[in-house]
Amino acid sequence: MSDPNATRVLFEDFAPAAVALFYAIAAAAVAVFGYGVYVQVRKYRRGAAATLEGGLGARFVAMVGTVLSHRTIARRDRPAGAAHRLIFYGFALLFLGTSTITLDYDILGPLFHVHFWRGAFYLWFSLVLDVAGVALAVGLGYMMYRRGWLKLPKLDYTRPDRKPGDPDYDRSEYRREDWAFLWTLLVIAVTGYLLEAVRLVWLAARPEVWDTRWWSPVGAALAQAMQTGGMSATAGGEWRLGLWWFHGILALLFIALIPFTKVKHIFTAAGSLLARDPLAAQRLPRVPEQQQRVGVQYITDFTWKQLLALDACTKCGRCHEACPARAVGAPLSPRDVILSLREFANRTLDSGALPAQAELDVHGKGVGQVAMETLWSCRTCMACVEVCPVAIEHVPIIVQLRRKLVEEGEMDPQLKKTLQTIHKTGNSFGESKRKRAAWTKALPFPVKDARKQPVDVLWFVGDYASFDPRNQKVSQALALLLHRAGVDFGILYEGESNAGNDVRRVGEEGLYEVLAAANIGSLATASFKSIMTTDPHSYNTIRNEYPDFGGRYTIEHYTTQLLRLLQEGRLGIARPLGLRVTFHDPCHLGRFNKGYDAPREILRLIGCDLIEMGRCRANSFCCGAGGGRIWMPDPPGVDRPAHNRMREAAQIPGLQVFVVSCPKDLTMFEDALKGSGNEGAFVVRELIELVREALGQEQGAPVPQALA
Amino acid sequence: MKILVAVKQVASLDEDFEIRGDGKDVDADFLVRDLNEWDDYSLEEAMKIKEAGSGVEVVAVCVGPADADEALRKCLAKGADRAIRVWDEAVAGSDAIAIARLIAAVARREQPQLLFAGVQSSDHAFASTGVAVAAFLDWPHAAVVTQLVYAPGGESAVLRRELEGGVLHEMQIDTPAVITIQLGINTPRYASLRSIKQAAAKPIEVLTPQQLGVAEAELGEAGSASRVRRMYVPEKSRAQMIEGTVEEQAARLAQLIRERRGGAS
Repeated sequence: MSDPNATRVLFEDFAPAAVALFYAIAAAAVAVFGYGVYVQVRKYRRGAAATLEGGLGARFVAMVGTVLSHRTIARRDRPAGAAHRLIFYGFALLFLGTSTITLDYDILGPLFHVHFWRGAFYLWFSLVLDVAGVALAVGLGYMMYRRGWLKLPKLDYTRPDRKPGDPDYDRSEYRREDWAFLWTLLVIAVTGYLLEAVRLVWLAARPEVWDTRWWSPVGAALAQAMQTGGMSATAGGEWRLGLWWFHGILALLFIALIPFTKVKHIFTAAGSLLARDPLAAQRLPRVPEQQQRVGVQYITDFTWKQLLALDACTKCGRCHEACPARAVGAPLSPRDVILSLREFANRTLDSGALPAQAELDVHGKGVGQVAMETLWSCRTCMACVEVCPVAIEHVPIIVQLRRKLVEEGEMDPQLKKTLQTIHKTGNSFGESKRKRAAWTKALPFPVKDARKQPVDVLWFVGDYASFDPRNQKVSQALALLLHRAGVDFGILYEGESNAGNDVRRVGEEGLYEVLAAANIGSLATASFKSIMTTDPHSYNTIRNEYPDFGGRYTIEHYTTQLLRLLQEGRLGIARPLGLRVTFHDPCHLGRFNKGYDAPREILRLIGCDLIEMGRCRANSFCCGAGGGRIWMPDPPGVDRPAHNRMREAAQIPGLQVFVVSCPKDLTMFEDALKGSGNEGAFVVRELIELVREALGQEQGAPVPQALA
Repeated sequence: MKILVAVKQVASLDEDFEIRGDGKDVDADFLVRDLNEWDDYSLEEAMKIKEAGSGVEVVAVCVGPADADEALRKCLAKGADRAIRVWDEAVAGSDAIAIARLIAAVARREQPQLLFAGVQSSDHAFASTGVAVAAFLDWPHAAVVTQLVYAPGGESAVLRRELEGGVLHEMQIDTPAVITIQLGINTPRYASLRSIKQAAAKPIEVLTPQQLGVAEAELGEAGSASRVRRMYVPEKSRAQMIEGTVEEQAARLAQLIRERRGGAS
């Protein structure tokens, strides 16, 4: 089948000067590429130092796995994932193919007189590359279809944080770049096939070429058509010369431009994935003791890793789509924060010398700067971080920028007041510390003070569950459940302070340090085996952030505790509820800590029929309270994330109960139920209340008969 | 030039407080302490003048025991250049006039162009310390100021005061002068916990009355023109909600009136 002489002519019929010219152009392209890489690396090195999580080996394996599987690109956009996979593998094979030729012709041949690029190897090589080219072209075709025909809103780059007419509102250059990228690659692929075809026509008389032509099926078919169309061997030879130069120079131009265009995501995305912190939003960075300035004011305050991540963004728009602030028309799109900062970095850090420090300030309303309204719109719900295919960590970037705003006092007056209140009283309600455990007085048994008596389970109740009257009822219900199941539990009484999760996400790091130290101090005086929290926010910070301050505990959210009690039969179901419910994943329990299954399993055990909303589990939609937004008034007259969520739930036919497992969710959604005009359609309930009802005990807040 | 800002560490009541054994104050265990709200505004007003010009020094002064350092640290965190605390056991029990004597002594030492004080303190509400300081110094004063225009180093300031009935009183005052600042004159800045912690490293100058040349006889209860006799919670007057239909409510009300009048029903 194979002719041992089969190979491809490269420079046949080229004058030595022409060959030299080609090598000169190739060298120039590589030089431009190298210079571009140097400029980019110099830009990243102007950032601050970064500590990366975990060993390089493990991170490398994870990165390669993500890249090869396309796991993150295919998530929630399977067609884009499939198309990108075709482009990636097609491009990678074609690149490897070209490198193989270089290895054979320019390295092994001249140095060792070894040539392996012939015979059977060459024929298989031809076939594989022909198929790779088809994959590439099909993938590119779909991407063009997405942009040109589907016209996905996330790809039109409209910014919510700028007004038409602002100097950096117009993003049409990005659209032009997208199209130029797609067309360039497509033209390189198509001219490759045409070149292959005319070469076959030109060399049709050589059996080692012509007889093996079907090993390049696309080229062979095109050649056949050209011959049928009357192309002679001589004409084929002339066409070959022209196409050869066109294809070659375009491909070299493409390589030269990689560091200067979006093509660089080949490297920057891989780099960003390599530097990925799996707990980027769950565990925010500490401020080093000796550091003079707090947070990020200048572009050079970002770490090199963050500057690199800015360049990894391919504007795929998934964060833009997932963002709850963007969904309600707030002036924030995580994508635009990243793109603004990237444009800012490119403008200020690309040249040889650094501009004056004043020009590096990223805060404000100028070109490429980030406005405080944008930063304060963020709920730190992590939807953007979670969905980003290239591991951009928006939340720590936004919080670092907020830290600077907090230091300057640039925040909502009500938020300012709340922070002062928390500093003064240790809770966001401004209540006396002594009143923290007042909710226990209504219980028929005393709740142990874990600071005075050893307990198995230390219940960290949290501000909302302790002070908010509606949530106090839920806390009482949970206490009754634990008591009935015989759990040995206690609380910290006035020794408990606000856990600080949201204070930290606001950017008040100093206050967070005070709160964390106070709680860790109180916990040190208590004797317990494990901690349980009501609030997923407390759960997150105690679990993921307190260890950085010396507090290491076994901790769980109440949902896993309750599930165990139900499974072990310590709580028996007397009355399966038979309710049609949906479940809202709290950001800090679900996305942050992967606690998706326990609440669902509890719902199943108590006989509820769970109908999922479209946005559930990792794609759950924030209630709008996170990141300290619960302490800031929402602007009047605009949509709110919680209302948006209520409308989504209302689409479930026959829905009876909207189930939550977070005190802030209960507050937000009970308000939103009324505000969104769904009152009477269904009710909002804490999971704890449903469990208590299923046990057949007195009902705290029963589901109305009309609905049940 | 210098601005002296007199501040106070005030107390607010915690839940279920108790009166001290001697019946003259609330038991200190039930007090939550903080910088007086008015003083937040007067410090901010001083900071605004400092930031508008150059060479302006803002000095916060407080008469109080060691725990009053917290109020001064807040001032340092917000940008005051120095802090002075005046204390000695003899100061305990001083009224507003005696306290003013000490602040006036500090002013004589510091020679400020302006001396700011809050209109009043949120706990004792005498509203007299600032004006008393002016009297001791024999300086002009303006009370309850809601707007102030002053160029650093200037020989006079223009200010506005709100009078009853919505009338504004605009005046010009020669410096040095004492000005008591009303809430709302500006928006006080936020002192981040980090800046408060950093302020902990800054020194607070502690002076005794002796060092200021104020005799012990002019301080404490002996040196005061007024003394606390007792502090107590008045008995709650009785109130009850009358429920029922309009007729029932009217009948019950009529019955109550007859009972109170003591007449036969």
